[in-house]
Amino acid sequence: MTSAQADIAAKGARARKVRRGRVHRIVRHAALLAWTAFITFPIFWMVSTSFKDSGEWVAWPPHWLPHEPTLHNYAQIFAFGALDPTLSRQATEQAFTIWKGLGDAMLVCTSASLLALLLGTFLAYSISRFNVGGKYFRHTILMIRMIPPIVIAIAILIYYAIIIPYATSALFGVRVSLFDTYIGLVLIYTVTTLPFVIWMMLTFIDEVPYTLEHAARLMGAGRFEVLRRIVLPLVASGMVVTFLFVFILNWAEFLLALTLTHPEVTTLTVLLNKFQSAAEGRLYGPQAAIGTVVTIPVVILGLLIQKHLVKGFSFGTIRK
Amino acid sequence: MVEVSTSAVPLADAERRSPVSRFARWLASERVFRLIPFVMVEALFILVVLIPFVLTVWISLLKWRANRPFETARFTGLENYETVLTSDQFWLALGRTFYFAGFAVALELVLGFVLAMLVSRCTWSKKVYTTIFLIPMMIVPIVVGYNFSMIYIDSGPLNQILAPFLERFGIDPRIRWLSHPVAAQWAIILADVWQWTSLTFLIFLSGFAALPRQLVNAARVMGASPWQTFWRVELPLLKPAIVIAVIIRSMEALKLFDPVVLLTFGGPGTSTQTVAYFLWEQVWVFNKFSFGAAASILLLFIFSALIFFGVYMLVSQRRAVEGSP
Repeated sequence: MTSAQADIAAKGARARKVRRGRVHRIVRHAALLAWTAFITFPIFWMVSTSFKDSGEWVAWPPHWLPHEPTLHNYAQIFAFGALDPTLSRQATEQAFTIWKGLGDAMLVCTSASLLALLLGTFLAYSISRFNVGGKYFRHTILMIRMIPPIVIAIAILIYYAIIIPYATSALFGVRVSLFDTYIGLVLIYTVTTLPFVIWMMLTFIDEVPYTLEHAARLMGAGRFEVLRRIVLPLVASGMVVTFLFVFILNWAEFLLALTLTHPEVTTLTVLLNKFQSAAEGRLYGPQAAIGTVVTIPVVILGLLIQKHLVKGFSFGTIRK
Repeated sequence: MVEVSTSAVPLADAERRSPVSRFARWLASERVFRLIPFVMVEALFILVVLIPFVLTVWISLLKWRANRPFETARFTGLENYETVLTSDQFWLALGRTFYFAGFAVALELVLGFVLAMLVSRCTWSKKVYTTIFLIPMMIVPIVVGYNFSMIYIDSGPLNQILAPFLERFGIDPRIRWLSHPVAAQWAIILADVWQWTSLTFLIFLSGFAALPRQLVNAARVMGASPWQTFWRVELPLLKPAIVIAVIIRSMEALKLFDPVVLLTFGGPGTSTQTVAYFLWEQVWVFNKFSFGAAASILLLFIFSALIFFGVYMLVSQRRAVEGSP
């Protein structure tokens, strides 16, 4: 092939390539937009339902947008104290307001995430620097996370609700139960999220060069001082990311909360599930409003740590 | 760091004498210091996981129902295990769990892979698509269950969209999807796919971003067609990401519980009872604590082989990703 022929062939190929590229682009965007519609539709439907009045929840044909938008559902879930007659839908003992659930969820999730973060960071540091627990300790931790929560839930329920009261009343004469308490839920959340914290923090701590610590040690800093003044400032952003990630996990947790608490402690996920009444069936509107309120903060937090999500969900096996 | 050295060195002598500082020094010695967090975490695990498990094994050997006093329980050996192993319900629930997990994970992998491939070829719109596609992952699973229950109800948008087709055949478009066993099963699978395709998408997107460009370009230059480049170069390089996605998603899919509660409560009949839901119902609705304890111990044994294999694969793939021996 002469160079001229090659030139012409190359030009033809390029023109074909450009044309094909355009077709590809259109097909690609069509597919991606279809998926976008599929993703956003359920969310759109929830937000739309949260503004509908009770008559429109299950109207046929369904109303895509509320015909008479109302804030009634939000007023109902955000009401303080006893519901006044204009807000309550019927005389049931349903707890309609969200404040208790919101408070409990905040308290439990924040304290469990903080506890897990502190313990997990410290342990991750120890694993990274001193190889504590041997070569396979990291993997043992991972296995804890893989156990289905229902298996843990049954064991913990028996422990909290039966064994501990039985043992304490036999030993000390006082029945102490961890069932349906904040401490019980915080403890179990801490344990179930510790593997995530340890694996995520390992990826951050492994990146801190050991020479920095070594230099500080040579200059006379104690171990705790090295940890506080060298390591922690360097992994602070990683700790924030890990905290948010674990917080989202705890916020979304349902099975353990449903199992280990009944009337007293109510996290938001459990509250959402409670919105059923014998008189009116499912209260779709208030459920939608709660769903929206529950979703917004975690989606915002999640998008803030978007870059690190893959690290968290893959236990640091994928690092970027 | 200079500050550290000036404050720490002169104090060292004075500190050495008081018992508190001696204790602090003992804590800071490497032999002890490395074990502090280890002991704390181990203590927590023993207290909150290990002791309950040992006690669960014990409870599983008793015959006792929660509505009677604990003192009436009596030892029956392995009877509970026999009940579980001969219970059709248990095996059906387990089979159903694998059936849900299998289809859901397969769909998530294919869809996530295709989406990641398409998005990775975008230029300016990449960020927008990525942000939107990640949203389902962050939505609380129970809310996802609620959202889909709204879509599947007899006067929901799904039936409205299908109505023109159905009315042509004289079918009443107000179908109760969740009342039909097979439709309810696929409703749950669809909800799972909706939520977790975002995770496989994210994993594959990182995989595509980490592909060594020079290898792909080299293949192009050597005259490989896009098809060949994909099958012979890109796909083998993406294998670790695929394995990681399969393991992580399968492990999570086997835990399926939240959407079942919100969508179907295990019904109609028992057609959507996953093993998690089945156990939950046995313990919380029927108060069969010993049965639940025995079943959860058995489940742990059944799953532990899978878990062990999963962790082994994850770790070996991690080595492959990092290239360290």
